[in-house]
Order: sequence, then C-alpha cells, then structure tokens
Amino acid sequence: MRADILTLALIVGLFTWAFRFFPTRADISRLPQGGALSRFLAATGPAAIATLFTASVVPFVEGGLPLPLAFGTVAVLAVYTASRSVVGATMAGSVGYGSGVWLLGTV
Amino acid sequence: MSEMTQNSTFSDGLLAGFPIVLGYFPIAFAFGVAATGQGLNGWEAFGLSLIVYAGAAQFLALALITSGAPVLIAAFTLVAMNLRHVLYGPALLKRAGAAISRRYAWAWAFGLTDEVFGAALGQLARGRRFSEPFMFGLGLAAYASWLSGTALGAYAGGGALQGWPVLEAALGFMLPALFLALLLSILSRAQVPVIAVAAVATVLVSLLVSGTAGILAGMIAGAAAGLLGLGGRDAG
Repeated sequence: MRADILTLALIVGLFTWAFRFFPTRADISRLPQGGALSRFLAATGPAAIATLFTASVVPFVEGGLPLPLAFGTVAVLAVYTASRSVVGATMAGSVGYGSGVWLLGTV
Repeated sequence: MSEMTQNSTFSDGLLAGFPIVLGYFPIAFAFGVAATGQGLNGWEAFGLSLIVYAGAAQFLALALITSGAPVLIAAFTLVAMNLRHVLYGPALLKRAGAAISRRYAWAWAFGLTDEVFGAALGQLARGRRFSEPFMFGLGLAAYASWLSGTALGAYAGGGALQGWPVLEAALGFMLPALFLALLLSILSRAQVPVIAVAAVATVLVSLLVSGTAGILAGMIAGAAAGLLGLGGRDAG
C-alpha cells in the first residue's frame, strides 16, 4: 500500500471514528421531554435518512433516467407497503430499476 | 409500529443487518472494481474499506487520488464530508432512552455508518430494545459485507461489469432503494415536514453548491425544522 494512500486512509478513518464515537459520550438522559435539543435530536434521524435518499437519487435524475427511477421507487413503495420488509423492498427496488433500464433500452 | 419489546442479542443484530448486507455488497463490489480500474492495487482498495469504512467518502477518495490532490487537502475534504456522523450517536441514544450501557461504544460506534444508523433507528422505532451486543451484530454484518464486496470487486478488476450494463444499473440503484426502505421503516406522519424540508434543502444546495454541501445542508435543515417544532413536540 502506497504511503500517501495509507496516510489518507488513516487520517480520514481516525476522524470518522471520532465523529461516530465521541458524541455517544454526551449525557442526553436528562434532556427535558419536548425541549429544544430533544426535538432537534429526534428530527435528526428522519432528516438524515431523507437527506441520504435524496442525495443518492439526484445523480439518477441528472443522468436522464427518470422512468427506471420511477420503476425502482414504485417497486420499493409497493413491496414495503405489502410486506413491511426492508430487505424485500430494497431488492424489489433494484430489480425494478434494472427492469426499467432493460425495458427502455437506455443503456 | 409495534410497541412490543423484541430481543436484542448479537444474533438479532446480525439478522437485522441483512438488508444492509444486501445493499452493501454490490456497492462495495463496485467500489473495488472502480478502485482497481483507476490504478489502485487490490490491497489499497481493501485498505480504504478496512480503515475508512465510509462508502461515499471512499468513492470521492478515488477521484481525489487520481486527480493528484495533495494528501492533506484530500484528507480534510473527506473529513468534512463525514462530519454529518456527529449527529448519529446522540440521535440513536435519544431514541434508545436513558439507562442504557455505552461501555463498548468506542468499538461499535466504528460501524455507525449511515445505513447502520438508519437500520438501528428503524429497529428501535418498531419496538426493539437497544443493546450493545445488538449493535455489534448489526455493525459486524454490515462491515463484513462491505469488506468482502470490496475484496471481490478488487479481485474481479476494473471493467468487470462492462459487459453487464443492466446488472450494473440495477446494482447502482441498491443504495437509494435501501435508503428509501429505511425511510419508510421510520416514517411517521408527524415527521413528514422534517423530511420534506431535508429533501428540498438537499436538492437545492446539491444543485447550487455541491453534493457534499447538499448532504450537510439537508441534515441541518431537517433537524432545524424539528427544533422549530415542525416534527411534532418530541417526534422521536
């Protein structure tokens, strides 16, 4: 492994671990229910996942493949609604997107 | 949403990590293929996954390495990209409630990626009790999938998927599909405004500034919307 790549990996890895670990040491058990910080933290999870979904979809929209994207999205929604299974919905979304690409001959 | 408390053993964590295993493996495979296709050797590709363990940052690392960016500039660009992770621990522990053990957080927090955080939050929302063995199981399943996918992709080499464009496209949609499924698993009516604010901020800032800025802006805007009461009184 080249020294510059190892150095890069160690710096980024160390900071990323610190970002993930040190905030878990904060004592949040005494936060008042419904208080400002409590509301902020409660909203962080949904906001983060919504953000990551949106950010991961933006390149697909910019790439000009809206119909396969619609196929994949509808497949996730349909299978999750029917089964409440994250596994099944994820697989269905992938198959739906791939099917859309294949059917439309866009690759 | 189930209110029944479910077991939270190490094995339960491994099982709960199965969707992430399915999502991670093809993406890590694609990373291994891309890394070797851009001139890294197999050990360098595997080393990035082993040490950094942050998918989006690893793909950006490839771009920075191949563009010849200085190591420190590249490193701190990637560090800034991962800054969002500071929010995950407190948000997860807030949901888990008081009186939980955090003795081994220094170890399981290493695996607190976007998807592990989302899956853990989804499990807690459906009645799972927080435990450190559960977090170890969940994190280990995801990490093993990420490492094995990278190794196989690096072994297959650059251009391995060139003859399979539909498969490549389907695998490329696995991550958005996983995020959408995770979002559905924690969705509540009270938090729809938070989600909408986060999504709009992400799109606008991504288009106007950059994808990394869009991710930070989306998370901060969504959490700020919760702070202002748009996510209900205590939506957690």
